[in-house]
Amino acid sequence: MTGAGAYSAEVLRLFATTPGAGVPVGPDWRRGEASEPLSATRVEVYLRAEAGRVADCRYRVRGCPHTIAALATVAARLPGSSLADLALDVRALAAELGIPPEKLGRLFVIQDAVRAAALQLAPADP
Amino acid sequence: MSDPVIYLDHAATAPIDPRVRAAMDESLAAAPGNPSSGHPGGRAARERIEAARAEVAALIGAPAAAIVFTSGATEADNLAILGAARANAARGRHLVSLRTEHRAVLDPLARLAREGFRVTLLTPAADGLIDPAALERALEPGTTLVSVMLVNNEIGVVQDLAAIAAACRRAGALLHVDAAQAAGRVPFEVGALDADLVSLAAHKVHGPVGVGALYVRRAPRPALEPLAYGGGQEGGLRPGTLAAHQIVGMGRAYALARAALHEEPARLAGLRDRLWAALAPLPDVHLNGHPEARAPHILSVSFGGVDGEALRCELPQLAVSSGSACASGHGEPSYVLRALGRDDALAQATLRFSVGRQTTVADVDAAAVGVRRALERLRALAPA
Repeated sequence: MTGAGAYSAEVLRLFATTPGAGVPVGPDWRRGEASEPLSATRVEVYLRAEAGRVADCRYRVRGCPHTIAALATVAARLPGSSLADLALDVRALAAELGIPPEKLGRLFVIQDAVRAAALQLAPADP
Repeated sequence: MSDPVIYLDHAATAPIDPRVRAAMDESLAAAPGNPSSGHPGGRAARERIEAARAEVAALIGAPAAAIVFTSGATEADNLAILGAARANAARGRHLVSLRTEHRAVLDPLARLAREGFRVTLLTPAADGLIDPAALERALEPGTTLVSVMLVNNEIGVVQDLAAIAAACRRAGALLHVDAAQAAGRVPFEVGALDADLVSLAAHKVHGPVGVGALYVRRAPRPALEPLAYGGGQEGGLRPGTLAAHQIVGMGRAYALARAALHEEPARLAGLRDRLWAALAPLPDVHLNGHPEARAPHILSVSFGGVDGEALRCELPQLAVSSGSACASGHGEPSYVLRALGRDDALAQATLRFSVGRQTTVADVDAAAVGVRRALERLRALAPA
């Protein structure tokens, strides 16, 4: 079975502590979600913005330890980012956390959820 | 200091019994001798092997001469399936088995399919049991071999081999039974089983890894083609110098299993049931396999609402097996659970607990507490 040995120390730390996880309360938060049926990965991202930039990020997730660690990393780094430029470098994130290529699809789920939340904050021009 | 690991993976391999190790040490320390040699050391090695053969045979009610030692149950499965199919090819080239068999059965069958044999793989019911009547309907005049395991290694269900054997007799097909999980846990005798070929492992019964056996019925003796050539050992079916210390270990392990056969299965079933009783009340928890027709040592459970890898990572203190092969990140759910209709998410979030000789009530209670806590944390983290 997959044991803790399959993951880096940083992935295990983020999986155990899940910094930033939870559902925020307040009128300024917007939610985005995405999922991937094959691995049953589900991600909910909550964003709050100030002056066109991400002010805070929270999340809920059903996924493997790699997915949880990646989402925690993204949530910690998003604050300060411009809403107009929220592209995640999925491959760099995978390399940083030692996520195998077979799991890249799960990181795109995170990207989709972030984009969906950002769209709620700054709807695209018609 | 980290908590000690609770070992609940006896279906994968059971820790070697100290008495088995002592017997193997004694064999290794004995005077040198190839069991095929005529000098005293060789004769002594031969005597130890024959004593072990008798012990292995005794556990399954077979004559000692029907036991062929191999490197394990995988080799025994290969010898039975490849050997019987090829040796009987002039009679027919149709083979029947189940989608839920071990890879050691399915992969040789796939190999035979590439050689031009026709392979029918039947799908058991959702509880893991094959209807013997459905199996009989799949038999044809050209069916030469049927392979069905006695105890499924993932979910622990026990097949109705008596009815399957009767169907094979009526059709004139040989019956091979992979009994790697059954020996020492589910009492059976090959005479009652009415099987022609039975695969056995040592390390599932607290014996050493690297040795197993194939029971080959004596009368009528099925035609078998060996997989290897190079000597006349084991009736020409498995040439090569016999690993006396490994075989001695298997013999001792089977003798110990036989001595405990009247009490140990009931004790194991009690532990298994205690664990299930603790898990069953939790929400979205699903037992895999028939609730009654199952071996005493295996409990397979699927957990809804959580990711399987995350669940296993949350339980580092538990040595259990999963319902998927996701170590490499592929996350491929178990083909056995999928064949039984479990969806991918549930199949992937499955744990196989298997108890053994050293397992205690405290072990299964601690396992249940650990699983409950892990589910609570992961479900709280997940979207509603």
